[in-house]
Amino acid sequence: MTETVILGVIGSDAHVVGVTILEQALSAAGFDVKNLGVQTSQEEFVAAARTHDADAVLVSSLYGHAAQDCEGFHERFAEAGLDVPTYIGGNLSVGQDDWSETRTYFENLGFSRVFDSETDPEEAVEALRHDLDIDQTEAETEPARVRT
Amino acid sequence: MVRNVRLSTEELEAIADDLRDNWPTAEAVDFREAVSYHEDLPDEKRFAEVLESADRPLLQPRAGVPRLDDQVELLTHLHEDGGADLLPTTIDSYTRDNEYEKAQEGLEKARETNDDTLNGFPAVNHGVDRCRELIERVDAPIEVRHGTPDARLLAMITFAGGFQSFEGGPVSYNIPYTKRHDLEETIEHWQFVDRLAGLYTEFGVRINREPFGPLTGTLVPPSIAIAVMLVEGLLAAEQGVRSITLGYGQVGNLVQDVAALRALRSLGEEYLPDEVAVTTVFHEWMGGFPPDEARANGVIGLGGATAAVAKPDKVITKSPQEFQGVPTMEANAAGLRTTRQVIDMMREQHISLDGVDEEQQFVERSTRSLMDTIFACGDGDVANGVVEAFATGKLDVPFAPSDSAAGAVLPARDDDGRVRILEFADLALDDDLKEVHTARLDERAETEGRKRSFRMVADDVDAISDGRLIGRPQEGQS
Repeated sequence: MTETVILGVIGSDAHVVGVTILEQALSAAGFDVKNLGVQTSQEEFVAAARTHDADAVLVSSLYGHAAQDCEGFHERFAEAGLDVPTYIGGNLSVGQDDWSETRTYFENLGFSRVFDSETDPEEAVEALRHDLDIDQTEAETEPARVRT
Repeated sequence: MVRNVRLSTEELEAIADDLRDNWPTAEAVDFREAVSYHEDLPDEKRFAEVLESADRPLLQPRAGVPRLDDQVELLTHLHEDGGADLLPTTIDSYTRDNEYEKAQEGLEKARETNDDTLNGFPAVNHGVDRCRELIERVDAPIEVRHGTPDARLLAMITFAGGFQSFEGGPVSYNIPYTKRHDLEETIEHWQFVDRLAGLYTEFGVRINREPFGPLTGTLVPPSIAIAVMLVEGLLAAEQGVRSITLGYGQVGNLVQDVAALRALRSLGEEYLPDEVAVTTVFHEWMGGFPPDEARANGVIGLGGATAAVAKPDKVITKSPQEFQGVPTMEANAAGLRTTRQVIDMMREQHISLDGVDEEQQFVERSTRSLMDTIFACGDGDVANGVVEAFATGKLDVPFAPSDSAAGAVLPARDDDGRVRILEFADLALDDDLKEVHTARLDERAETEGRKRSFRMVADDVDAISDGRLIGRPQEGQS
């Protein structure tokens, strides 16, 4: 079975490079990737997760408004009866906030994992394999170094 | 179907009348009165004349803050302490989305709290008189720099407000910037902007127009960037614009950057009508910067060195604080001074670089191949052709977020650090040219002992911020 992963940049953010490379990395790792691209609304994430029967939803944000853009995100998923792992990654804090505070903030919003902008795509792949109980010996990958 | 034909004065006036309802400050725009305002401006504030008569590359930073007094202070600092020849006024993001209500809230909040609650100068909200106050209080020509797909009202107000240069274009301010703006509609909107600039030109006020060369700013192959510049130059020229500055963003390989800047100038002069004064602008590295001011200065210095050899008419500088976002005015001025120091030490040296001519020929042949495709897509019409070319992926920009482009082409650096095309998707480049790209990337793959793949792209995107040019596999990683 191929796991389906929804990918997108939330809010009115137009940073496309990270999500493009993550799409390539996840596809190469064998996931069925639905990349919603930049400027994706909460509704679009929910609709895509439902339509594609997604196994995980990955949210990217680089422009500093992640906190506002993700408010109510998990309530929408709950209302739609969807219970899937949700990850968020990118430049999540505004200004000089402490990273552990930032991570806790987004975990409290309901994200299963929170990644900073220095994360290798391979870390997201590993996390997905762990969280979705995928046998890691199946796929062969070489690590890629990139910020998501 | 959009065609590359000049808007009539009746069409221009009808659109302008409609736009007047979009925000109250539009009421103050009076074309004839604005022409006479421009006529009274001193020579040193005439953007096109200053740029076109320069005998060395002019320097210009990026800068925009919400309040007028702060913008005057910022630009004065960049002019006096940074030595900027040309100044910018960068417009805030709400205005770029035509959200004037939100820009107004941000401006009022900025005035109340003294915080910069907008990331630029909301020129529409400030209106004609306050734009003029900015022009009058600063002693250099000022360009409007933004990123607005529908910049019609912004152009009406800033042209009437005394600005004589306006960045952007229907492809360069759409495809790299937004997701849902239809390209055909964006071309119509920019035909208005260009026609308005053309009308001012006919009344003796030569408004300079500058298509945004770096596009997505991330490893854009020169031929793609130059093709977009030529398209936007042709569209602007048709509407009567007579001063056009074509842009290109540094990729970091000295030979390729010099070759591309020369190709940009030569193709610009060839493709654009004779009555257009073509100038070029070089943007210092637009991708990710090192998170270290000392190393960032190295990137900026290489930009200055490239400019000293290639001699573009203008250089848009970066600051050593690029990594962290908007720089302080001191850091912004420092980027200008670093660039100036390198250019002025190098510009009188006669430097010849092996391989520039060959690379220039390659860039030119590739650009011609893309231009032929664009004209063929539109049965000879460049406006319709560029829409069709993007819709079919025959023309494409790497990492383009727009629904109007495929965004499927992927670049990677070759073994020499020049940007080549790894994934063509449907890009309509001649086969013999494609073979060169592939062969060069194979050389790199062999050097690195790995396959040609997106991992090179991923590594290359971060290489400069990591302290290198080419994203080679690192020790300790398998």
